[in-house]
Amino acid sequence: MKAYIMTGDNLGAWLDTLARDFTLIAPVKEEENVILFKPVKGFAEINLNYTNSTVSPKGWIFPQTEEMFYFSTAGGQINLTDVQAPRPAIIFGLRPCDIKGILTLDPVFNGAYPDPYYQNRRENTILVGLCCTRVERHCFCTSMGGGPTDGRGADLLVTEIDGGYGLEALTSRGEELIHRYQGYFTPDQHSRVILAREELGQKLAGQFTRTVDTTGVKEFLDQNFELPYWDEIARRCLGCGICTYICPTCHCFDIFDFAPDGERGVRSRCWDSCMFSHFTRMAGGHNPRPTQKERVRNRFLHKLKYHRDRYDLDGCVGCGRCVTKCPVNIDIRQIIADLQEVAQHA
Amino acid sequence: MKIQEKLREIARKLLAGGEAGVVIGYAAGSEVSRVVPAFISREEDVDRLVWNPLCINNLVKYLLDYRHEPGKVAVVVKGCDSRAIVRLLQDNQISREQVIILGISCPGLINPDLVAARLDPEAQIKAVTTSEQDFSLQTEREIFTFTRDEALLEKCRYCEHHTPVISDFIIGEEIPPTTPLDPFTAVKALEELPVEARSAYWDKQFSRCLRCYACRNVCPACTCRECIFDQAEPCWVTKANNLSENMAFHLIRAFHVAGRCVDCGECDRVCPVNIPLSLLNRKILKDVKELFNVPTPGTSLEELPALGIFTNSDPDEFM
Repeated sequence: MKAYIMTGDNLGAWLDTLARDFTLIAPVKEEENVILFKPVKGFAEINLNYTNSTVSPKGWIFPQTEEMFYFSTAGGQINLTDVQAPRPAIIFGLRPCDIKGILTLDPVFNGAYPDPYYQNRRENTILVGLCCTRVERHCFCTSMGGGPTDGRGADLLVTEIDGGYGLEALTSRGEELIHRYQGYFTPDQHSRVILAREELGQKLAGQFTRTVDTTGVKEFLDQNFELPYWDEIARRCLGCGICTYICPTCHCFDIFDFAPDGERGVRSRCWDSCMFSHFTRMAGGHNPRPTQKERVRNRFLHKLKYHRDRYDLDGCVGCGRCVTKCPVNIDIRQIIADLQEVAQHA
Repeated sequence: MKIQEKLREIARKLLAGGEAGVVIGYAAGSEVSRVVPAFISREEDVDRLVWNPLCINNLVKYLLDYRHEPGKVAVVVKGCDSRAIVRLLQDNQISREQVIILGISCPGLINPDLVAARLDPEAQIKAVTTSEQDFSLQTEREIFTFTRDEALLEKCRYCEHHTPVISDFIIGEEIPPTTPLDPFTAVKALEELPVEARSAYWDKQFSRCLRCYACRNVCPACTCRECIFDQAEPCWVTKANNLSENMAFHLIRAFHVAGRCVDCGECDRVCPVNIPLSLLNRKILKDVKELFNVPTPGTSLEELPALGIFTNSDPDEFM
């Protein structure tokens, strides 16, 4: 692994260049208290004063609405046309929890049943991570096996250091990116970057206000599908899709056709949410998850059990977005703690 | 804290006497700056109930979940929330006999972000005092004072009804209705803009909508058995997230609650991407008030929604 150093001034110039050569996706301050990852034309649009973006950046690999193909039935023929492949992209400024979020999605879309749309975007997107510089009160990534300076999964990891930025190439793709723009960097001769990152990691590790312990929770859930606890949580749930839509690991989608004239149209897929009542409603009207209890239970079982059953990965990365945004304070940290307490006394 | 004690006392009596099957109120949340809606059905849980300036959620919509349950439901309401009770009664969603309204005279709420920024998340609020100038939150260790100027929640700055407009109990000293100086300052500022600028403003807001439907789900004026946005056939608005569909969603919803929105501010509070929905709804509120000379919907049971009735004095300049 090779490390490089870049001055503060060069960061802007480098990002301006990247925006010219790639589709550059970076954090933008959209409104007061709203940070979104969006395509930018240059450094001037980027806002680096954030810990977590309001919505996770997963949408650039797995868009909220993605056109799959165009169809036409004109002249009695069925004609399908592929949509234009997206330009090579770079996501700059991914926090470690969001990188882990993408690693959590990978086996879903790139596993036994490869999904060409996801695969195409994933392969054409370079991930540039950015170590956190502070811990927010809702952050609990260290409890879910991550850390504020743990950039595993990124191609390139950036750390703020005295007088500039340190860059570590974690993959050959990251190395190529450095090589292509080598004028902006100098090799890190004295391991300054790694030392600075480790020091930052140690400093931030002490700033977490709340940790959770998932030990035994999955095993308890393996044995206990029916719990009155889910009624309690569901009673206050509004059944909105906030938690699932801002989450870096939720990945349910629905497929629909849009054909205003009935002959030509586009097939798209878009995010769906297991919190919605119609998510599991079938054509005949039957709904296997008839109340909010089954829906809430599904979401937490997906995070804490199903994803581990299928891929041996936690379904939650501890970004804390749902903790801050749930209008009725359904707090996954509390749920893990409650389940663990019940499990210990079971 | 007198209000909290009184509230617990009343809740305890209601549950003990079997008068209410459940009391819907607030309990301490997972962090000091949050409260959770609590559904108390056992006397021994009554002490979970709290009242403090962080009790922002409007709990009225939960009454719908008990429509078909036997027994009475008691619900804690502030002045703004109480208008939502009138909404549900006028819309025949609940019956007056089934509901026990625990009205709290509310001097105003505090912006939870400021509390989160200053207090340890694990702290517990032990006592609260509010004065005309400030809020004081006492935790185990310290007293934190916030001036009303810095900390009063935006919606409370133009509060009309501190004391609930409908109730079975009033807890706390009644605070008479006030007429805020100009409740529509923000609406007027937007109205002043040329039409292109207004259009661009709303395009920017709606384009980031996630279509999570939290604004709809929390809204006491949204009570359709099946919302048109959930219908697959016919599909009025597709699931595709783009400006056109997002705009259709917001405008249809705004018109659906026109003249019925009780201005409780919950849509603003829940939106995860800070779309100023109450600005949209308050624009319509302002128009309805001007056109029909009516109070804020939900102010009284006798005053039916302006667009739900017809009188000969209705404006008809379009005829």
